Order: sequence, then C-alpha cells, then structure tokens
Amino acid sequence: MKIQELSKGLFKENPILVLMLGLCPTLAVSTKAIYGIGMGAAVIFVLTCSNVIISLIKDFIPDKIRIPSYIVVIATFVTIVDYVMKAYTPELHKSLGIFIPLIVVNCIILGRAEAFAAKKNVLDSFFDGIGMGLGFTLALTLIAVIREILGAGTITLKLLGYGWIVEIPHLNPMIVMILPPGAFITIGLILGFSNILKKR
Amino acid sequence: MYRLSVSPHIHSKASVSRIMWTFIVALMPAMAASIWFFGPRALYLEIISVATAVITELLTGLLLKKRITLSDGSAVITGLLVAFNMPVSVPYYVPIVGSFFGIAIVKQLFGGLGYNIFNPALAARVFVMFAWLPEMTTWNAPLTTSGFSKLAGFNFSIDTITTATPLAIAKMKGMAGLLTEFGSKMGMYKDLFLGKCPGCIGETSALALLLGAGLLLLTKIIRWPIPLSYLATVVLICLLSGNDPIFHLLSGGLILGAFFMATDYVTSPMTPKGMILFGVGCGLVTMVLRLKGGLPEGVSFSILFMNALAPLIDRYFKNPVLGVKT
Amino acid sequence: MEHYLIIIVSAAFINNFVLSRFLGLCPFIGVSKRLDSALGMGMAVIFVLTFASVITYMIHRFLLLPYHLEFLKTISFILVIATLVQFVEMVIHKTAPTLYESLGIYLPLITTNCAVLGAALLNINENYNLLESALNGFGAGVGFTVALILMASIREKLELARVPRSFKGAPITFIIAGILSLIFLCFKGIIAE
Repeated sequence: MKIQELSKGLFKENPILVLMLGLCPTLAVSTKAIYGIGMGAAVIFVLTCSNVIISLIKDFIPDKIRIPSYIVVIATFVTIVDYVMKAYTPELHKSLGIFIPLIVVNCIILGRAEAFAAKKNVLDSFFDGIGMGLGFTLALTLIAVIREILGAGTITLKLLGYGWIVEIPHLNPMIVMILPPGAFITIGLILGFSNILKKR
Repeated sequence: MYRLSVSPHIHSKASVSRIMWTFIVALMPAMAASIWFFGPRALYLEIISVATAVITELLTGLLLKKRITLSDGSAVITGLLVAFNMPVSVPYYVPIVGSFFGIAIVKQLFGGLGYNIFNPALAARVFVMFAWLPEMTTWNAPLTTSGFSKLAGFNFSIDTITTATPLAIAKMKGMAGLLTEFGSKMGMYKDLFLGKCPGCIGETSALALLLGAGLLLLTKIIRWPIPLSYLATVVLICLLSGNDPIFHLLSGGLILGAFFMATDYVTSPMTPKGMILFGVGCGLVTMVLRLKGGLPEGVSFSILFMNALAPLIDRYFKNPVLGVKT
Repeated sequence: MEHYLIIIVSAAFINNFVLSRFLGLCPFIGVSKRLDSALGMGMAVIFVLTFASVITYMIHRFLLLPYHLEFLKTISFILVIATLVQFVEMVIHKTAPTLYESLGIYLPLITTNCAVLGAALLNINENYNLLESALNGFGAGVGFTVALILMASIREKLELARVPRSFKGAPITFIIAGILSLIFLCFKGIIAE
C-alpha cells in the first residue's frame, strides 16, 4: 500500500509526463541538471510537508475556506525553502529566481492537497508527497539533462564546489536548446513520445 | 459562418506534383548561381540537405504510417531552400539538422504536406540560426573565378577569406561603407543584381531568382499579391526612412523570401485581401528588423512571424463564396 | 515617456511572459483551443494582472517594507491575488453581467496563473515604482493575450490537420509554442540599444 503511494508518482501518475502539472518551472529551470535537482528538492520538501500538515488539519478546517487555508500552509513552507536556499545555496537560489516563490502556485502542490491529502491519512499523504515530488524531480532532471547536453555540451552536477561537471567531447552544442524555444520543443517531443509509450 | 477548409485547394495528385516539380525547376537558376559564386561546396550542401529532407520524409512517413508522398517533390524543395539559406562555410551537420527539423517536426508532426502552419525551410533556418549563431553568420566572399571550373577540377576547398554581408556593412557603416566596398553605386547595384556578394548561397543572385520567379508567375504557380505588396512595402519604408530602396530590394534574402517562401500556399492566407495584408506585414517586419534589430537580416523571421498570423488573417477575411471569382 | 513605452513593449513582446519567461503555461495550454475563449481569458488576465501589480506594489511598499515583514511577501501576495480575483468577480458580476458571462468562468482560474504572482514578484525584483509596476503588469497581460490568441487561431486551423494521435493536444501545442518562441527571440535585439 505505502509502496504504491510512493511509486505511482514516479511513472504511472508522473506529475509532469502524465498529469502535466507544474510545467512552468519545468521549462524555466531545466537548463542545467543541477537546477533540476535543486528545484526538485525544494518541491519534494514543500509537497511532503504541506501534504502532511493538510492531512493533519483537514478535519478542523471549514469547507468554505479550505483552499485559502491550504494556500497559507503551502506558502509558509515555500517561504521557509526560499530563505533556507538563500542562506545556504545562494548561487542556486539566484539561478532559480522567482520560480522558488512561484512553487506556491505550482499546480502539483495544491492539486495533491485537494485530491489526496484532504482525504487520506497522514502516512499515506506523506508517501504521496515524497513519491510525487520524486516523480517531478526525475522528469525535470531528465529534461534538464537532455537540454544541457544538446545545448551546452555538459552535464552540471556541481553545487557549492562539490560534485563535477561532465563535458561531452566532440559536440558543437546547439545554443537554442538552452534558450526558451529548446525548452518548448523538448517538452513537446517528450510528452508525445511518452504518449506513444503509454499506448503500448 | 463558413468553415475554413485546409488551404491547398488541390484536387488531383498529378497537379500537386506538377506544381512542385515546376517549383524545383524554378529554383535551378539560383542553384547554378550558388555553385558559380561559391564553388562546389555549395553543391554539396544542397545535395546533403536535399538527401536528408528526402530520407527524413521517407522514414517519418513509414513511422507515422502515412501514404508516402515522396514523388510530389515537396521534400526536395524544403531541402533545397534549407541549403539556400546557409552560408557556404557551415559544417555539413548544419543542413542535416536543419532539414531533419524542418521535415520531421515542422512538417510531419503537423500532419504533413498541406497542413503545416509554418514554412518548414524557414523554421529550420531560424532554428539552426539560434543553434549555431557563429557558424550561421560567418560569410565568405564569392569566388573570383567561376565555381564550375573548381567543380570540374575537383577542387573542393573553400576560400577562407571571411567578410561581412552588404546588409551588415550598411548597418554598421552606412552607405559610405558600402561605397568603399563596392567602388560605386552602379557597381554595387550590378554586383548585388548578379549575386556577386557575400551571403547565403541561394539568396545572393537576384537575376537567377527573378528568372525562376518569372517562370512561377507565368505558370500561375505563385500569384502577384504577396510578392508585390511585400516588395512595395519595403520600398515605401526605405523612401520614408531615407534608405536606398534599390539596395534593400537586392540585398539579403528578400527576393528569395518574397517569391519562393512567402508565397507558400499552405502557410499564407487564402484570400487576395489577406495576401496583401500578409505581404505588407512581411515588409514591415523585415524593415523593422533590418533597421532596428539585433541581426542584420530579417526576411526569414518576418515571413515566419506572418505564417503565425496567417490563420488569424484568414479568419478576418473569410473564404470567398465558392464559385465566385475574386 | 519612452521609458514607459519600453516597459510595456518589453513585457509584452521582447520578454513575452509565456514564450520567453514560461509564466502562465497552464492556461496557455488549457484555454487555447478556441479563439473566443482565448480572447475572454486574455482580457480577464490583463485586467487582473494590472490590478494585482498595483496592489501588491502598495502592500510591499507601505506595509511589508516599513514593518520589516518581507518574509511575508509570498504569502501575502498570493492571498491578495486570490482575494482580488474574488473581488473582481463580484464587481463584474454586479456591474456588468454581460461581461461577466463571457469572462466569468475564467476568473477563478486566474488565481493559480503563475503569471500574476510572477509579475508581482518581478516588479519587486526590478525595483519598479507604482506606475512602472502597473505598466509592467499591463504589458505582461497583453503579451499573454497575444500569445494565447496566436496559439488559439493556429490550433483552430490545426483541428483539421492529420497530427499524429500521440502528439495531439499538449505535445503539438508545446511544439507550436517552441516555434513561436523562436520567432519572438528575434525581437530581442530591437530594444537592447
């Protein structure tokens, strides 16, 4: 049961590839592999925490002010992530820019709160948050790796001086892939191909 | 309300391929000029580009289980136009990626011939332009002797003298810069008309392009409204802004674009009024980009931009009533 | 004067909110099937974006900054936007029922349109003053509407096309957006000088 809640987010209900939620940050920050991982980590934190809290308080909240209360919970965790990242990973924080505070309107978070956490128990909601967050991170990083390889000829896995930057030899990178058109075309093709796989 | 039908109102397969092959014949003078002025490498770029386009069309056709439409020649046209829009010194993978992008993504994913929203060759050019900007904006001076003699002598090297296109010179140094480059005004007009100036391999020779355009106009494969309103707008803006209209008509990809790419049936409006608006829009955007833009040339962008607007234009100038000649 | 014009043109075209900043993608994909609904959505977004830019600016300037409450930025902005959308909905409903009928269904959707919160945050990042914020919000709305209308007209035409089944809907819409974004890229150089 718990494993199911965890694994469904990875493939069967992958938030980006299948549910098509959270596309704005996916396209905006997928220019380097590390941005994908960083953004993903922020989303996993916010999604898991807000899922747990919302599932805890769901019985005390009047139905009418449900959505605004969820938004307050989510915005609180987003602010925490925003400030923590600003303090410890300032470079990454700067690169992700307004897309960290914008996690607040990321449809994945509110979507999971409304569709899952508001109905299920705390433990399930916890695993759902982690699973969905991981699925988001996986798809986002995949897209970032594709774009970075084609558009810059590198895979950047370096943060705060740790990790490494892989360089792909003999490749004349296509700059357009790390520009906005490359993002749209990549996600269009990936969604199309994942539709083909789904039908199999 | 009238329902818009998809635009090439063509009734038999034979007429499609007749149009396409005539179109290819019309591109031949410009192809010859490209080899004459830029040498055998221009020919190789054209062959590689056409081959990629044809193979991509074949493979995607098989994958998508479409009726294979190779014989209509449209892939050959796209491949040729992709190569025409490149400088002679680009690495060979540039036309390969360009033609693949044009055919696989801009044409086949949109439903194939007759359904594409954007001109595949133009979208391909803009895509590779932003992919490899340095390679796409390195220009070679035309050869001093005929490229055919190099072809006959199996001399495949390219001259390594790089230079700036007339439009880039005009942008940076103005008319004075052009005059030092070409000697005199008449000399400049002559060189630009014949095609003896740096630029994309298929766009420089106005003479060769106009020969082909004449054939297309005589056989009524393309019609006057778009090229005429396009060129007229360019002339008008030049006169209003104090620029040399003849220079702007003859330089860059204007003639290639106005006659061979803006006139594409599928990606331009269907009604005469819509066509005129389309041409005026192309002219306007071209001149704004040439005079104010970051890049010296704006023909491909402007036509692609108007391609995006064509469905809207068609909505406002609806299809004429069937059977009524307009 | 020119400075203000540049802010609008830049937000609308050069740094188009949808095609180069990736803001407001959900409604861009969701509401671009038909031209008339795209127009309605666009108008509603222009309206809300302009108002939200003004109000969030005032909150930041007169409430958060003086009392050192900047950490409440995200939370207060999103609540203000949600309230504003509700309020606008009520006002339009009371004063202009016909407008409400055409815009009504799109208004609730705007709360989660990240273009609105995005514009508010960008205004703060760019240190815009009140008028500049309003114009930036307005320009962003216009840019969103232009992109949405272009996309809707293209998708209507494409309805008759034989797009491969797996690419129908969102995938082909993203590919169109990619090509539109290529076109918008070339406007970048114009204002740079």
